[in-house]
Amino acid sequence: MTDIPNNELKKEIKMLIMNTLNITDVKPEDIDEGIPLFGGGNALTLDSVDALEIIMAIQRNYQIRITDQSQARYTLRSINSIAEFIETERKNQHPENI
Amino acid sequence: MISVPYKHKMAAHCESGSITSLLNNAGLDITEPMVFGISSGLFFAYFHKMRSFTFPTFIVRNKPGQMRENFTKRTGVKFKTYSFSHPEKGFLVLDHLLDSNIPVAAQVDFYYMDYIPSWERVHINVHFIVVVGKDDSAYLVSDSYFPELVSLRVESLRKARFAGGNMSPKGFLFHPEFIPEEIDYETAIRKGIRKTCFNMLKIPIPFLGIKGIRMFAKKIVEWPALARDTEHLSHEVMKINVLLEDQGTGGAGFRFMFATFLQQAAAKINTPQLLDFSKKMMVIGDGWREFSLLAARFGKNRDLGPQRMKELSDLLMDRAKAEEQYFNELYKAIKEI
Repeated sequence: MTDIPNNELKKEIKMLIMNTLNITDVKPEDIDEGIPLFGGGNALTLDSVDALEIIMAIQRNYQIRITDQSQARYTLRSINSIAEFIETERKNQHPENI
Repeated sequence: MISVPYKHKMAAHCESGSITSLLNNAGLDITEPMVFGISSGLFFAYFHKMRSFTFPTFIVRNKPGQMRENFTKRTGVKFKTYSFSHPEKGFLVLDHLLDSNIPVAAQVDFYYMDYIPSWERVHINVHFIVVVGKDDSAYLVSDSYFPELVSLRVESLRKARFAGGNMSPKGFLFHPEFIPEEIDYETAIRKGIRKTCFNMLKIPIPFLGIKGIRMFAKKIVEWPALARDTEHLSHEVMKINVLLEDQGTGGAGFRFMFATFLQQAAAKINTPQLLDFSKKMMVIGDGWREFSLLAARFGKNRDLGPQRMKELSDLLMDRAKAEEQYFNELYKAIKEI
């Protein structure tokens, strides 16, 4: 099991998504971290093109590739799942930080 | 209630994933990228005019079923396969296999996988799942796109296995029948790589392999003339992203999987030279993803003027050039190392 991702990282992810998708009408605190980002229900209304934009933004910012759609669907479920994925990948890349 | 003991795992792609999962559960320790690479799954074909398609389209992997057949030829693993013209027979055999504790892969129309959100489901007749159990009203299914075992209503599975249309499943089932005690991975990996290079470089048909990417690059600028209107063109250009990223695992995803295969092959058969090819293929995958994203942006914004189509064409030409150089180098290297 991974550690619970820190709040700073979640905030960073929200800002990354908002900046990447040029979202200006939603405040970071309005985005629920546990609610799905796709299919409605959250403050953001995202589609599959947005998903690809987020995948590439994660790669640019964290040097972490999401290599396939199964992994992408699973990872991009919510802010929490993205944060957990980044934390896990960071630990895999730098096991000395565990 | 029948439930065959089965360890479920997510995978990058349904066909390579279901083959891998069945083999793992039958005791063979092998990864999905290794199955994909040995079976020469990576490919490209562009179809500008075909009776079965109403608009030009393309594929980024070999044809459905080919992975299983190639894997069999190169490793000696044998699969038992079944096709049916009558659903009743198709379900009798499936139930009999489950009664015998045999998990079995089924070809299905993805649309009827009702455990997946409706907005993600489209009609594709070449999705693969593994059926691992049943009760009175539903089958227990291992779907590599889903994080856990799921329940699929009997009626949904019936519709999915016997859907009509292009590449209809005809109730197709398969499961491993024989796994050799020793597999000659050295030979299997080399054949897998050589055949992938051959398929991309040497098939003398203008719409296959690298030639197919070039044809796509040349023809995409003609798409506006083939579309009914901007909405139709936008839909078709957006579909590039769907075909590359959403369905199966797409242009980038398959290339990332091939890169992982080379990385694992380098260790498995002690050929560190393949590591460099693995890294280069990752970069090639990134290039496909950039192309996919650009197409999606243009389509979504209805920004589809001649200049935009030319930009897509140029990016495709870059992909063709990068892959031509890459596969020529890999073809040469695999003969020498």
